[in-house]
Amino acid sequence: MAPPAITEDERYRTSTQFRLWSFTPDKLLALRTTTNRNAADRVRDAVRRVREARAASSADTSEADGGVGSRAVSAVPEGEVDCLGVEDELKLVIFYCRQTIQLGDYLGVPTDVKATAIQYIKRFYTTNSLMTYHPTTLLKTALFFATKTENHYTSLTKFAEKITGTKPEEILASEFLLTQGLRFTFDVRHPFRALEGAVMEMQAMASGQIPGTEMQGAPGVERRIKEAHGKAREYLKTSALLTDVYFHFTPSQIMMASLLIADQSLTTSYLAAKLPPTDPANALFREKLTGVLHKCEEMLLSVTPGEPSASEKKDLAALAKKLKKCRNPEKLDLVGLQKAKREGDGEDEEKVVKKRKLEREQSAKEGEDLFGPSIKMEA
Amino acid sequence: MANSPLLIPGSADKNAASKSKLSSAVSSNGATPEASSRAGNGAAAIQDIAEQMNEEEKHKYVKGKKLGEGTYANVYLGHLRSSASSFVAIKKIKVQAAYTEGLAPDAIRELKHLQELSHPNIISLLSVFSSKDQNLNLVLEFLPLGDLEMLIKDTEGVRYGAADIKAWMGMLSRGIWFCHENFVLHRDIKPNNLLIAADGEVKLADFGLARSFSDPYRIMTSNVITRWYRPPELLFGAKHYSGAVDIWSVGLVFAELVIRTPYIAGDTEVGQVGLICQAVGTPTEGNWPGVSKLPEYTVPDPPTPVRQKDHYLGTFGTAGHEGVDLLMKMLVLDPRNRITAKEVLEHDWWRSEPKPTRNEELPRKGGGGEKAAEDLKRRPGVLEDERGAKVARKLDFGG
Repeated sequence: MAPPAITEDERYRTSTQFRLWSFTPDKLLALRTTTNRNAADRVRDAVRRVREARAASSADTSEADGGVGSRAVSAVPEGEVDCLGVEDELKLVIFYCRQTIQLGDYLGVPTDVKATAIQYIKRFYTTNSLMTYHPTTLLKTALFFATKTENHYTSLTKFAEKITGTKPEEILASEFLLTQGLRFTFDVRHPFRALEGAVMEMQAMASGQIPGTEMQGAPGVERRIKEAHGKAREYLKTSALLTDVYFHFTPSQIMMASLLIADQSLTTSYLAAKLPPTDPANALFREKLTGVLHKCEEMLLSVTPGEPSASEKKDLAALAKKLKKCRNPEKLDLVGLQKAKREGDGEDEEKVVKKRKLEREQSAKEGEDLFGPSIKMEA
Repeated sequence: MANSPLLIPGSADKNAASKSKLSSAVSSNGATPEASSRAGNGAAAIQDIAEQMNEEEKHKYVKGKKLGEGTYANVYLGHLRSSASSFVAIKKIKVQAAYTEGLAPDAIRELKHLQELSHPNIISLLSVFSSKDQNLNLVLEFLPLGDLEMLIKDTEGVRYGAADIKAWMGMLSRGIWFCHENFVLHRDIKPNNLLIAADGEVKLADFGLARSFSDPYRIMTSNVITRWYRPPELLFGAKHYSGAVDIWSVGLVFAELVIRTPYIAGDTEVGQVGLICQAVGTPTEGNWPGVSKLPEYTVPDPPTPVRQKDHYLGTFGTAGHEGVDLLMKMLVLDPRNRITAKEVLEHDWWRSEPKPTRNEELPRKGGGGEKAAEDLKRRPGVLEDERGAKVARKLDFGG
């Protein structure tokens, strides 16, 4: 009754990361394109409705307050709505993922919490558009939710307190939306442990503990392993999270690609030790693997660990401004929508709506900022 | 009741949706009749793709009669829309008004792990969808024959023997091996979390306390596993532990199956430690180096020497020599020397006589749907310290 060995590959193929969240680049683009177009249509429809309501309400002011019409009327611009394209959304998502890393650093959460939160954001925005759900709120929700799923929970009140101008209900308002967008799958497989394993194995090869490799006793090899470890980890903590590699590659492929970037010849020796080129049985596999790793490497290099350049920043500022003008006016007040859902529509709607109106005006004001309400941090 | 048309031509969306575990089931090609978007005051006919996917999942099932109602969840009998005889249990988690931290930890743990684990001896999560009031609905396989606790306790009505115990233990051991192989600790193994399917298969359920293995430097809470099944390292407050905690519980389920009463049933944590010392032996630096450094290490004086095989044979002789050997290896005090799930499956007991009973010949008790609901509506992650007296331990996400 000896248990069958489960290979790492077999195990990975049963994960939701593989079953639901892995795509070919074409499929992923098609999904994002559909999401973007769908959302743009909805924005135009909603804007039309708001305008119609506004027209109706100026004809009969007594009914102006409380209906659809008042829903952030001020946020609806005149003229044709200029919606974000799929490329625009992608660039902005990366930008807000960077902000998530910064917020996570500031809050002092572990790397895997930040990494999971970012995958949540990226997964969420494959089927939801930034025009419908603005990322400044969603990223806080994703980070909070990741503290829960990654066993690093801090109470919501404490979490919200640390971020200036953030109320607990604002974070909770999009939690359900987030879980739905994640299709209720919360497990994310990261490449961090794989890197630690590879580094330990290389160290064992260098010291001769695993004998007979070309790494054994090579001059300066310990130092190179150490440096490669640090550099690869930087890529895993930034490029791997910000690019689409999680959608296209396995954690171990991502890890190997980041090691290749960090120190190509060292990693090649490591690969040679694992898959001896002298063994013809490995030839086809090596060839395939090299191709995959090369693609992954390329993708990782498309977003480097450093800050975006000045021109990129300018581009992003313009996109954020564009987003501000094409947000779905019916989805601005998530706290209000959430309360209405939970409380049941209709009941005491008058009261709820009036109370909510004040909150809306507040959030509309904050919405004037370039990137939406900014993340302010208290010392 | 507007039928919202699916705007998606299909390709991209279908690709993702059809990969769900029930891919062979109905592929619904439209929104459900009850799909009306409330957000836009009924005006918005177009749904987000996420909402469409949710509607598709929801549409695959028909919710039937309520099987049971609990504080944490209600359980309904349901079936596939495409097949009225394919039963499922739909566990509808109630929105917790009192819990102001969003989705509760036990629900998150259960969802996170059940979504990943697919094995014949682990309860299958077939689907998850939300109903219109944002209640989560977990579609689980329907397990109508109750749980192992029922069988153990019904000493009048259910008779079973060594071959039956071996069959049940085999299924439990395979289930927990699969969890550990996938780096998941169950942390609440006990007879009433071991449910029985219509074909007699035992399924590990209730993942409300489960978690992934920790990184070496990250601490975990020791406040897990129902007391009677809790290993000494957790009673002593260990913050770093392994799959060995589950194995101890498996050992105590084994013992209980044989003697048909809980083997080590303490009233308090201190009492539990005292009983472990009597039944198994007192943990000391001699048999468990380092144990005295654990934060809550206290043992009664004088120490009881570790029990030897003849002691176990006296109580568990019906399990045979090999069976007793396996039991003793599961109840080793030092978790580093306790048998692992993989080693359990390689043990000679499985190869010795008698052969495990075939599923269709296993003793059963007609529990029916009510019992299934009883098992499912329990709040996952609530530790029942004594049968009947449910004590909700406060468990945060920290562990």
